[in-house]
Amino acid sequence: MIAVSDLTKKYGAFVAVDRLSFEVTRGEIVGFLGPNGAGKTTTIRVLTGYHPSTSGTATLAGFDVAKDSLSVRKNLGYLPQEVPIYPELRVVEYLRYRAALKGVPAKGRKLAVERAMDKAAIADVARKLVGNVSHGYRQRVGLADALVANPPILILDEPTSGMDPNQRLRIKQVVKDLAAEHTVLFSSHILAEVQDVSSRVIVIHRGRLRADGKPHELLAQGASSRVFVAARTGAQALAAALAPVPGLLAQASDGEALGIARAHCTFAPGGDPAAAVGAQLLAAGIAVCELRPDLPSLESWFHAITEGCEVETVR
Amino acid sequence: MNGAWVTFKKELFAYLVSPVSWLIAVLFYLMRGYELSRLVAHFADNRLDQELLPTLSYGLTSTFLMVMLVPGILTMRCFAEERRTGSIETLLTAPVRDVDVVLGKWGAAAVFYGLLWLPSVLVLHVLEYGWFLDADLAFGPVFAAYLGMFLLAGLLLAFGCFASSLTDNVLLAALLTIIFCFGLLRLPNLVAGSVDVAGNYYLRELLDKLDVMRNFAEWFARGLIDTSQVVFYLGGIGFFLFLTGISLQSRRIA
Repeated sequence: MIAVSDLTKKYGAFVAVDRLSFEVTRGEIVGFLGPNGAGKTTTIRVLTGYHPSTSGTATLAGFDVAKDSLSVRKNLGYLPQEVPIYPELRVVEYLRYRAALKGVPAKGRKLAVERAMDKAAIADVARKLVGNVSHGYRQRVGLADALVANPPILILDEPTSGMDPNQRLRIKQVVKDLAAEHTVLFSSHILAEVQDVSSRVIVIHRGRLRADGKPHELLAQGASSRVFVAARTGAQALAAALAPVPGLLAQASDGEALGIARAHCTFAPGGDPAAAVGAQLLAAGIAVCELRPDLPSLESWFHAITEGCEVETVR
Repeated sequence: MNGAWVTFKKELFAYLVSPVSWLIAVLFYLMRGYELSRLVAHFADNRLDQELLPTLSYGLTSTFLMVMLVPGILTMRCFAEERRTGSIETLLTAPVRDVDVVLGKWGAAAVFYGLLWLPSVLVLHVLEYGWFLDADLAFGPVFAAYLGMFLLAGLLLAFGCFASSLTDNVLLAALLTIIFCFGLLRLPNLVAGSVDVAGNYYLRELLDKLDVMRNFAEWFARGLIDTSQVVFYLGGIGFFLFLTGISLQSRRIA
């Protein structure tokens, strides 16, 4: 549904998006991740036809964004990062106006607006002036606007920014529910959200693609050579027992409490380090309390791939 | 055209609920009422030809302000405000053609400007049937005068839309339009006054054609509708609306 190929966007000498390529297929929910200033919003603006690209192509629903912008926009619901307001309109009036602008026929307009308000859970502010609703609600008014014409593709730019945890949870649920009927590309710099909601993540940094895959796979790839172990023994005894495990590069003790010593071990890539550690401790007669691949936190993984150290760039 | 109609309705609604619009209307009619009462009294006292009254009411300061200041104030928000708040992004990413947006916004400004003039029709009614005057108004010149006013206003509002599309600063947009209005209305007159045009046929003709104030006094206000002038205003409207469309499209062009 969305195909981006070698997309580059320059502002003068500054390269905001650098030869970016990715695809999103029908029914996918794809998280578009990157730190602030990574080029997410610029990419999205090119996809929505708001800005032209410098080079490269992008197609949505089979239409080229540069050559057939109107057809692209007919198939697209877009929630910008800052939801703009027409303070003089009520929420329901704003949505009716947007529905009309998007060509929803007059007959079905009332129903379409009600359905969009239901989905975005804003029925309780329908009669309020857009200028008077809170930031979180305004964001949801924007979401309802994106949904009102029931487009096949949705692009949401930081849909949960500035929301409280409850609102965030609700929006995440809304986005999850959208998967049945829509293809969704949504950007965020909040990782936990992306992991919960999306079937795939695309990470960009400084305008370049850094990672593209399922969230747990990306994490696992980065973590495959690290193991955490907790055993009923002393810290020194544990270190001594782990030393002969083949492929061990480094081990860091996590201290000892209530007779249980903990350690993080780093292994050379390949093999099954957790199994090797288990076998070694069993042979040494040490009771193992906990043994697991040491997944880096999402935050540290993200930090690593966007800052370009520790974890290899995965594709 | 659906997009133009939807934009038109939304924009007209915005004008109707804006306090600025009502403030303009109130000030305009306060001023105009006072001026007209003075004018009528002057006619009655001096026994002047009543048929000149509509023509002379053209020259009132309120008319001048309506032409000089109001187009800038009405159109300053058209695109500048949308750019300032960022709503231009949702507007231009909706499936609506730029030309429809431009037509809708200009149409709403033009119709609202017309609405501002509408109560002045009541003045004609008072003049025609008022007990204190025995006027027999010639409605031909009145109609021509209104037509001329709307054509001129349409041109100024079209420029206002264009100016508003150039910046995200509403005051700058208003100022640009006001300068343009002043230029269009006054410049040919000033140039003709300061440069010796007697020997230069083309310059003289050009300034003559461009002199909006004189054209009004000598043509529209006398009930004469000159096709070349109608074409001039319609062409000007089309030209500036076209430029506005180009200005909007420029962000889509690499």
